[in-house]
Amino acid sequence: MTAADPLLRIEDVSRAFGGVYAVRDVSLSVAEGETRAVIGPNGAGKSTLFNMISGHLTADHGTVHYTPATDGGVGLPQRIDRFSAHRRARLGIAIVFQGARLFHRMTALENVMVGAHARTRHGFLSAALRLPGHHREEAAITADALAALERVGLKDWAHRSADVLPLGQQRALQVARALCARPRLLLLDEPASGLRAGEREALAQLIESLRQEGLTMMLIEHDVAFVTRLADRITVLDLGREIAEGTPREIRDNEAVLAAYLGQESAA
Amino acid sequence: MNHPVREGEMKQVTLRPATATTPAPGPGLAARLRRPRVLAVLVVSVVALLLPQLLAGSDVAVYVTLLLSAIVVTGLSMLMGYAGQVSLGHAAFYLIGAYTAALSATHDIPTWLGLAAAPLTAAVIAALIGIPLLKLRGHQLAFATLAMQLILLNIVGQNEWAGGDIGLQGVPRLTVAGYEFASTSSYAYLALGALALVVLVARNVIASRPGRGLRALATSEVAAESAGVPVVAYKLAVFSLSAGFAGLAGGIYAFYTGYVAPGSFPVLLSFEFVVMAVIGGLGTIWGALVGAAAITLLLQQLNELGTAEGMPGYAPAVMSYAVYGVLLILVVLYLPRGLVPSAQGWWERRRAAKDGGGG
Ligand SMILES: Nc1ncnc2c1ncn2[C@@H]1O[C@H](COP(=O)(O)OP(=O)(O)OP(=O)(O)O)[C@@H](O)[C@H]1O
Ligand SMILES: [Mg+2]
Repeated sequence: MTAADPLLRIEDVSRAFGGVYAVRDVSLSVAEGETRAVIGPNGAGKSTLFNMISGHLTADHGTVHYTPATDGGVGLPQRIDRFSAHRRARLGIAIVFQGARLFHRMTALENVMVGAHARTRHGFLSAALRLPGHHREEAAITADALAALERVGLKDWAHRSADVLPLGQQRALQVARALCARPRLLLLDEPASGLRAGEREALAQLIESLRQEGLTMMLIEHDVAFVTRLADRITVLDLGREIAEGTPREIRDNEAVLAAYLGQESAA
Repeated sequence: MNHPVREGEMKQVTLRPATATTPAPGPGLAARLRRPRVLAVLVVSVVALLLPQLLAGSDVAVYVTLLLSAIVVTGLSMLMGYAGQVSLGHAAFYLIGAYTAALSATHDIPTWLGLAAAPLTAAVIAALIGIPLLKLRGHQLAFATLAMQLILLNIVGQNEWAGGDIGLQGVPRLTVAGYEFASTSSYAYLALGALALVVLVARNVIASRPGRGLRALATSEVAAESAGVPVVAYKLAVFSLSAGFAGLAGGIYAFYTGYVAPGSFPVLLSFEFVVMAVIGGLGTIWGALVGAAAITLLLQQLNELGTAEGMPGYAPAVMSYAVYGVLLILVVLYLPRGLVPSAQGWWERRRAAKDGGGG
């Protein structure tokens, strides 16, 4: 990847539901290693935007380009907006959805191991016949998943059913699952909502340490202090449109943002 | 540790410090034998192996039927439990396996080759028709598979090469490496071996990477996709795998009975497989075995009743439908997860209560 190519480039993306735009003509670029926050009032289109990056929704208009890693580490930007979600996952895009989406009737460890699907390959035949390569891969996935659980502080829960986890731990489990994919771009849709103060702080520290390691992240969050602390740049959406983009300081002083979003918060 | 990852992806996230992990030594043999699961497998295997010796002649035939059903239901239970799809025409794959074996054997192809071809043919046909069928949502697959079975029954019933309504008679006995499977109990052992193979394959798949993908998509297809699980391809793979299992059972059936006819593969048989899977508990191997055993034994009783003196000829079929209906309603109302998962849940709760009280 040349310095000029951002990791993610979104151009004029729109998506409507029943004739009403959820996202309208949004463009943005995220550089490798950047932490980008996306903020905006309820219904602004933040989740819709993320889902068009991860592939669960397709854009009505516009393009999404992404620069995947290749064997040498250098890739060319690829247009990915028609790719299926699992293909995008294989390119290194991982998402933590808004609200818990755990896999039932599986242990916490198995939930996280599913995250490794994107970068592993042994399939039905190899599993059925228990080929040697399959064993090696399983051992590697297990080790990675345990490490991911440890990073989010869930190691003690590894062998318990994910169904019995408290809400805070369910969030953390999803983050661990995403990390187990070793993503190049991590999308976090309100990972802190519903967490208690201590859990929020642990999450903030985890995001901070991932940022130090150079992971590119996009983060949706309502708590402006949380975002200001963690993000390099902030994109503000309102009614599906991008109304501002800049550093946390620029956003704090932006008139339009104050009017549309921050004003409501501080008034409340 | 050797990760199957490309270089570019490696550098992004460090999951753990670079320390070598030494695998923990496995528990000793004695400790393993004391685990309830291992013990159960052992006891069931021994009993299963002894049964052909202990049972009376006509009961061995029932046993063969039971084992063949268990082979089919193990696959169907995976399809229903993980892919969330109902196949109301699974006897069609049983039919395909049986006709593949019978047709090849009556055309002087070595019988072992015919038996090997039976699951493969069923699996390939399932993969081909699955591509359009699995795009269907909800219960549409159920009706599409049912339609497929009716069409197949029509095809084999109308065509000379398939023996028409009378079917193919005089299928030779199976011969593998000079050994001829002639007695009923030899077919019981053959079916038992096939069931063991099917259970092993199912267990291996469920407990590994593709199995985790399947179990994940059973909860949420969207979340599974985002983790990189190719949902449609995986559903196609289980559909094809379950058809392959049914085809294998069908192949054995053809050699065992020595003839195949459309009448041996009625739609009622497809319903029977579904009822077995649901009653045992979807998505569990034990459930499939228990469901197949319970319904086969029940049917045996009904059959004796239905063919008793003074009963009209349609009695067995009518009673089967009625019993399936009543059983399904009872299970859905009182044991919605099926026999085996409900029993497991009861056992775990009891143990938890004991531990809590004692410790
Ligand atoms: N699947 C859908 N079908 C219909 N309308 C939808 C769908 N998804 C989103 N919308 C609508 O699109 C708009 C944007 O929704 P979106 O979930 O992207 O907002 P958001 O910014 O994530 O909001 P929140 O902060 O509440 O999560 C809303 O008006 C929502 O009702
Ligand atoms: Mg949202």
